[in-house]
Amino acid sequence: MNMRIPILKLHDCLLISIQWELDDQTALQFQEDLLHKIHETSARGVVIDFTSIDFIDSFIAKVLGDVISMSKLMGAKVVITGIQPAVAITLIELGIRLEEVMTALDLEKGLEKLQRELGD
Amino acid sequence: MDSSVKIINEWDIVAARQLGRNVAKELGFGTVDQARITTAISELARNIYLYAGQGEITIEKVENGAKKGMTIISRDQGPGIPDLRKVMEDGFSTSGGLGAGLPGVKRLMDEFSIESEPGKGTLIQSVKWLR
Amino acid sequence: MRKKIFQYVQSHSDEILREWIELMRGEADERAIQAMSDHMFVKTSSEFVQLVMSNFSDSEQKFNERAIDFSEKIVRLGWPLTMITEGLRVFGKIVERGMQQTGAIDQYSYIDFTTEINNWMFPMYRTITEAYTTSWERTISLQKIALQELSAPLIPVFDKISVMPLVGTIDTERARQIMENLLEGVVNHRAEVVLIDITGVPVVDTMVAHHIIQAAEAVRLVGAKCTIVGIRPEIAQTIVNLGINLEDVTTTSTMKKGVEQALAATSRQIVEVQE
Repeated sequence: MNMRIPILKLHDCLLISIQWELDDQTALQFQEDLLHKIHETSARGVVIDFTSIDFIDSFIAKVLGDVISMSKLMGAKVVITGIQPAVAITLIELGIRLEEVMTALDLEKGLEKLQRELGD
Repeated sequence: MDSSVKIINEWDIVAARQLGRNVAKELGFGTVDQARITTAISELARNIYLYAGQGEITIEKVENGAKKGMTIISRDQGPGIPDLRKVMEDGFSTSGGLGAGLPGVKRLMDEFSIESEPGKGTLIQSVKWLR
Repeated sequence: MRKKIFQYVQSHSDEILREWIELMRGEADERAIQAMSDHMFVKTSSEFVQLVMSNFSDSEQKFNERAIDFSEKIVRLGWPLTMITEGLRVFGKIVERGMQQTGAIDQYSYIDFTTEINNWMFPMYRTITEAYTTSWERTISLQKIALQELSAPLIPVFDKISVMPLVGTIDTERARQIMENLLEGVVNHRAEVVLIDITGVPVVDTMVAHHIIQAAEAVRLVGAKCTIVGIRPEIAQTIVNLGINLEDVTTTSTMKKGVEQALAATSRQIVEVQE
């Protein structure tokens, strides 16, 4: 029972929309898949959308934080979008700040932000 | 209604938090509190899986006069925690995680108590009240 | 003996009331009396004396109901609890003195009298204090709800810019409420910049600052920017003196500056129209 999160390519960006609750294996698998895809496509930007996710615990936050730092090392900027208010509040209360991450309200605004950051 | 989930493998973490979310929804908790409760259960269940090998998460509805709420009980017969004060400090982690674990759970819930005996196991009880 | 007391109280009720009002005026808390008109004081007093007398004739349940009604009324009027307990004591004293004067009790029947009057007074003490506290607790919990409803709306002022004015003291419970309103509002209004105005927050201590920083961080996570406006000189001083680090949060002194910055951040500005 291993679900893989689909990663879409749009010009030089990768788009990921996470549609269901992440379990540990899926999260780790996603980390691996994304890094391979960045390598394969030489993408310069990544948008990960969390609109349908209603909770993130410290393990998933750690995997997420790691994959963002790793993507950066590989030359891809990451924007996360659509974090729900309830999720933001629990993350803050857990003491997780995801400090270096760029954020936007939704996928569309995330793409705009990325485009500005990449300078085109 | 009490219900328990045995935590033996990683999938049981998902099962425990789904149970918790359903009970929270049923009791009428708002979305933010549902997320708090689900996250707290996830942290507790993961601690069992990582440190004790196996254990149990029990969800109970509680009533105290006019107040209603739910209790999450995490019980294991694992190695126990030698220094309770230390694990309740922010940023302390032995697993390479974010170290948000137990102090994080304490912040997410309204009441929190922990008993642990090295070699015998750990019992954590936490309560969230309906507002 | 109980009958004797009852008879005395009934036949002298006017006298007792007059004396009671006089004594209470002298003994009671001045604030409580100043707060109401003379007419109101006499009326409420006579109700109180009637209530005490009704304890003889009414059934226990009926007396309880009367006590609850009366307690609700005096809580609304702002009579302190001491006024009621003192009132009962004074009432007992008046009856005792009156009965001594009329010769209804003498030194032989005195012990009998005190036992009886205590038996009568104590349950009444309990009922009235209980009723009083219950009404008081209800008032407090209603006020708490009212206070929660008052807490912090998020107002969209321009496209992409919303403002949240904070007024009054911020405790943990309110901070939670504010955080939820703030984030739900940001998502619903599609706000890109939120200005939190703390002009109306009287004290910013370490805890309040902590809540504000957390709110700003949560706003960033959902994908918007947060600026704290309304930092008065004394607040800037306390923040620095307490060693609170607000460096990761954008702050300005006035709402005007905050709005200008917010417009700039969303690539807009206010221009004067030339006719």
